[in-house]
Amino acid sequence: MTIILLVLILGLGIYTLVSKDLLHGVIALSAISLLSALLFYILHAPDVAITEAAVGAGVSTIIFVWIIRHTERKDQQ
Amino acid sequence: MIKKPFQIGHRIQFILSVLSLVLIALAVLPVFLDGTPWPVHARNYLETNGAGESGARNLVSAIYLGYRAFDTLGETIVLLVAVTGTIGILTKAGAVLMQDSSKNQHLSGSAFALPGEKRKSNYMRTHLLETVTGKLGPVVLLFGFYVMLYGHLSPGGGFQGGVVVASGIVFLALGSSSLTTSGIIRPEILSRIEALAFLMLILVSISGILLGKGFLDNPMGTSSIIPAGFIILLNIIIGLKVGAGIGFMCIVMLGKE
Repeated sequence: MTIILLVLILGLGIYTLVSKDLLHGVIALSAISLLSALLFYILHAPDVAITEAAVGAGVSTIIFVWIIRHTERKDQQ
Repeated sequence: MIKKPFQIGHRIQFILSVLSLVLIALAVLPVFLDGTPWPVHARNYLETNGAGESGARNLVSAIYLGYRAFDTLGETIVLLVAVTGTIGILTKAGAVLMQDSSKNQHLSGSAFALPGEKRKSNYMRTHLLETVTGKLGPVVLLFGFYVMLYGHLSPGGGFQGGVVVASGIVFLALGSSSLTTSGIIRPEILSRIEALAFLMLILVSISGILLGKGFLDNPMGTSSIIPAGFIILLNIIIGLKVGAGIGFMCIVMLGKE
C-alpha cells in the first residue's frame, strides 16, 4: 500500500513538472497532498495527516488558483 | 537567436538540479547507511510520564503545548508576521492587479471568485459552486472546532483545527450570495479576532509568572479538576488565531476587500 501511494505521488509530481497547463499542475499538487495525507495516516501520524490535508489540499490550492487567475491561459505567440 | 538563452537556461537548470540532488544525498545518506540506533531516551520518558505530567492523552499536544510551548509561541509569531506581510504586499499589489485585469477582462474569466467582485470578470461562476460551498461551510467549521477542542484527546490541536476553520471560512465566503450574509467572512472582524487571540495568548503565557510559575507554565497545575485545562485553553486561542489569520489572508487574496 505504501509503495503504491509513493509511486502515485512520484507520478503526479512528474506530471506537475511537465504539464503545460498551470491549473492541471495545481490540481495534481493538491492530489499529491491528499495522497500524502493518506500515507501519513497509514504510518500512524494522524496529526500530520490532518495538517497536510487542510494546508496542502485546501489553503495552498486556494493561493495557487488565486495566482493563476492573474495569468493568461494561452502562450503569447 | 531567441532560442539560445532559453537553452542555456535549461542547461543551468539541469546542472543546478543535479547539484542539489547530490547535496541532498550527501546530507541524508550517512543517516541511512550508518548503523547507529535512534536515540530513545526522550521517547521512553514521554511514553511513561507525558500524559501524567501534562494531562493530555495526545502526546503531540503534550509536547507542543506543554514541554515545548515556547516554540509554539514562536510559530504563532511567525504566522502573524507572514499574514501581516502578505496583507502589506497585497494592498500595494492589489491596485496593479486590478488595472491589469480591467485591461484584458476577456482573459480573466474564472469560476473561482467571490461575489463582491464585478460579475463581468467571473462569468464562469456557477450555482453549483455557490450551493455546495455554502452548505458545506458550516459543517467544515464544526469539524474544525471539534479538532481544536479535542486536541488533547484525539489527533489534532490548535493549528490543525485553525486551518480547517480557515477552510470553512473560505467556503462560507465562496458560497455567500451577497456581502452581508454573515459576519465571520468580513475581513475587519477576522483581523480583530486574530489580534485579540494573540493578545490573549500573551496574557495567558505570562499568567504563570504572576502565580509563581515559569513563563508559559500551567498556572493551575495538573492537580485541578481538568488536568489538561491549560492545554485546552491554549488550543482554543491558537485555533482562533490561526483560523482567523489564514481565513483573513485567503479572503483578501480572493478579492473581497
